Amino acid sequence: MKSGLSASITPSSIQMKRKKQWSKLIPYLFVAPWIIGFVVFTLGPLLFSFVISFFDWPIVGEKKFIGFSNYITMFTDDPMFWHSLWVTVKFALFFVPLNIILALLLAILLNQKVKGSSLFRTFFYVPSVISGVALAMIWGSVFDGEYGILNYLLSLIGIEGPNWLNSTSWALVAMVIASLWGQGTLMLIFLAGLKNIPQDLYEAAEIDGAGKIFQFFKITVPLLSPTILFNLIMTIIGAFQQLTLALVLTGGGPLQSTYFYAMYVYENAFKYFKMGYSSANAWIMFLIVLALTLLVFKSSSTWVYYENEVKNDK
Amino acid sequence: MKGKKRLQKSFVYGLLIALSLLFLLPFFWMVMTSLKGPEELAQYPPKLFPSEWHFENFAKAWNSQPFNVFLVNSLIVTALTTIGQIISSTLVAYGFARFKFKGRDVLFIILLATMMIPWDVTMIPQYMEFNLFGWINTLKALIIPSWFGSAFYIFLLRQFIMSIPKELDEAARIDGANVFQIYYKIYLPLVWPVIVLIAVFNILGSWNDYLGPLIFLNDQSKYTLTLGLAQFKGVHDVNTNGIMAVTFLISIVPLVLFFLAQKKIVEGVQTTGLK
Amino acid sequence: MKKRKMWFSLLIAVVVLVMSACSSNNSSGDAKKDGKTVLRFATWDTGDTLKIQQDIAKAFEKENKDVKVQVEAYGDGFDQKIAASFGAKNPPDVMYMWDFTTYNQSLEPLDGYVQKDPDIKMDDFYEGLFNYSKVDGKLYGMPAGFSTMVVYYNKKLFDQYQIPYPKEGWTWDEFKEIAKKLTDKSKKQYGFAVTSEPDTYDLQGLVWSNGGSFISDDGKKIDGAMNSPETVEALQMYGDMVKDGIAVSTGGKNQQSASEIFKANKLGMLINGIWPIQGYKDAKVDFGTAMIPSFGSKPVKGLISSSSISIAKDSKQKDLAWKFVKFYSSEQAIKMRTADLPVRRSIVEETKVSEDPLYKPFYTMLENATNTPAFLLNKNWNEINRNLSAAINAVMLGQDGKPLFDKAVKESEKYLDK
Repeated sequence: MKSGLSASITPSSIQMKRKKQWSKLIPYLFVAPWIIGFVVFTLGPLLFSFVISFFDWPIVGEKKFIGFSNYITMFTDDPMFWHSLWVTVKFALFFVPLNIILALLLAILLNQKVKGSSLFRTFFYVPSVISGVALAMIWGSVFDGEYGILNYLLSLIGIEGPNWLNSTSWALVAMVIASLWGQGTLMLIFLAGLKNIPQDLYEAAEIDGAGKIFQFFKITVPLLSPTILFNLIMTIIGAFQQLTLALVLTGGGPLQSTYFYAMYVYENAFKYFKMGYSSANAWIMFLIVLALTLLVFKSSSTWVYYENEVKNDK
Repeated sequence: MKGKKRLQKSFVYGLLIALSLLFLLPFFWMVMTSLKGPEELAQYPPKLFPSEWHFENFAKAWNSQPFNVFLVNSLIVTALTTIGQIISSTLVAYGFARFKFKGRDVLFIILLATMMIPWDVTMIPQYMEFNLFGWINTLKALIIPSWFGSAFYIFLLRQFIMSIPKELDEAARIDGANVFQIYYKIYLPLVWPVIVLIAVFNILGSWNDYLGPLIFLNDQSKYTLTLGLAQFKGVHDVNTNGIMAVTFLISIVPLVLFFLAQKKIVEGVQTTGLK
Repeated sequence: MKKRKMWFSLLIAVVVLVMSACSSNNSSGDAKKDGKTVLRFATWDTGDTLKIQQDIAKAFEKENKDVKVQVEAYGDGFDQKIAASFGAKNPPDVMYMWDFTTYNQSLEPLDGYVQKDPDIKMDDFYEGLFNYSKVDGKLYGMPAGFSTMVVYYNKKLFDQYQIPYPKEGWTWDEFKEIAKKLTDKSKKQYGFAVTSEPDTYDLQGLVWSNGGSFISDDGKKIDGAMNSPETVEALQMYGDMVKDGIAVSTGGKNQQSASEIFKANKLGMLINGIWPIQGYKDAKVDFGTAMIPSFGSKPVKGLISSSSISIAKDSKQKDLAWKFVKFYSSEQAIKMRTADLPVRRSIVEETKVSEDPLYKPFYTMLENATNTPAFLLNKNWNEINRNLSAAINAVMLGQDGKPLFDKAVKESEKYLDK
């Protein structure tokens, strides 16, 4: 900006100035709806829950300030905290990679030129359409140790299935299996991402003599990487928030073997009426997931390829 | 060569069919259960098909409570939230994807972070807030927040927009288009398939939302379908036939919508192949 | 110019949205609807029992034409919704209630109302029921419904195996014999069902009948009660029945419940309250009910599961709420509630329900229900119960009880004198 040249403020330079100021505002205007919504609907409750985590609040009683007590108790005097965290991590370790690989494979399968792919797409998506409670009930009857279809089918091939939901070793496995059925959303996103990759890249590679596997790793994966990043983050977040299925299917059991951290937070609030403690739990979970996500994001600069995005433009 | 291709194709078909059966199984079980009588729920060996087809279970379940009212409420909420999300999320995603501005990365991290907050903890303070606004027991509590964008959709859209080459922007700008015109005329059509995707997700999410209506609605005349479903699952007993029947009826709408929409998504993405 | 158009149309859309939302809904917090006063009444009932609630509401509206009773049915989301409502200080006026030790600070004491309204005839109620809604001597709820636990048995299966029907005074040893005869694993048919993750509340009757208890009568000690040989023995018996294969383990919240297996005629006997009785009749099961068996010569003790209705302290129309509570407790309303056992003696005498062979065992068990449940004896029972529950669940899955209960006692000591 030229300074001190009041004599040469021509109409066009004023216009330029205005345009520049206006163009600086534009991005904020676009993002404004979310910012407003965030401040009004999320920030307030967030701050409230943060403040409350320093109180003892039995929901139907009075709030009592207790400083860091909740946080200290969580880490030193509450084995359930560590246990539920461990259950969640165990679950995530299996669920996250399996879910992503499964969704990707299904998307690739659906991407093939076959007739009726739209029908198949719908079939794969169906479990995601059924609402939580009913789905959990269906799984309950599928996994039932005595009368369930799964064990029945297994018995037909000579295997005596475990009493899934009553077994401390198998209940979590059942949860992973049941959760994998809901991969529909991820699959769709992968499919959209796959379709976004121009066909001629594959054709060119074919002409150059590259095999399918080579094409997959050198073309598909890199171009799909923004989508993979998205799905990876979403699945990690989802794994840590796993609640409804556990609540309705196993109640966290047997013997707390499916007691997810989200359930720990929930029960502390609504079963034991310790809203302050529950808020503290929630904030810790938030920090953990945030840390994980940032880690994934940081690593993404090495393996995610945004077409047409130069590094220093990030 | 042709033989190899045919083998490949039949392999793919076989896999697709087998997997379809697998994924359809829970749904199929649900439909069969809704047609069974109460005495057939614990059969062994498990019977897939009911011995008597109780088609009246559907009418019985639907008429046991004012489900028609619930249906209307669900339709209103789902339609309005979806429109709201599409408008707001695309605007915000465009802002994050295409501009460099102060605080952009920090805001984006905050955006992502909001997805990680478990709802139980913000539920009660949100309730208190909505109570102040006078939104409790109205559909406003469920609808209005969705007009301000949702982190999930914004994130998804942003990823897609970022994969669109910037040359398009520059070309348009040379032609004299301003920012909004670029947004409206160029980007929206390009990400249209993703918008349809988001619409599908939101319709499903809103249609199946249970916690929101449970906490924010009191009066039966405002209930949505999923809350109506709670009528079948009591503290002491569960009406399994009823739940399965109603769930089946409820899932018809999103299923049909999905089937119609997913063609658009996939075909759309393909034809707008970014060259 | 496009830009302005966009913002403009967006603005219009928002305005339209807000206007439509405004007009199609009455604003909340208004106690008036169509000129009538709205009374909020929350219940956990579902299905047919919910219909009964709605009928009672309508009957009340008939006698009070300027009132609309808003029946709020939350099914099994009840606890969560009530907690949220109280937490946000926006509770329903009247609600079903059982957890008085937690909620009593937010409830309106009813003693004053009762004294002013003698025609509610308090002595017509079974007095034991009032124990369940009194905290520190103050009454917080009027009994709405109750049940005791009995044994349901499948007559068809008994006839098939030529087993005589249970008689009053039968013992657990006889019970186990019968269960063994009725079990046929190849057909997935069992004599009895044990929940793998039971509500500890439901097991108190069993424990009392063996002379044990979860907590001392003054609520101050658990060592010697929770881990006493009598308590452990009673609970271990259930776990052993599963281990011996004569009882099927029904577990979790959504697997085939014992009721469903009973309805499929694959279960010889099960223990439950009155709630599923209509369901069994609808499924056309040929069944009978009997008293719970005894441990040898020890007296059988019954357990009352009681629910009451209460008024919120923050309600803005407490007099109207009381009017409804009174109506709900009147003979007329009680007669309408066919799915519950009547809480008034006069109704029982009038309908002779206690003489119906299906319902008689419930009343016999009621007469033997003289113990006070643990949750009413100690303010921190919720926390203590966590450890107890873990121990019991492990026993039901086949583990050895004594060390588990000792552990539960040790871990719960800290909650005793808070």
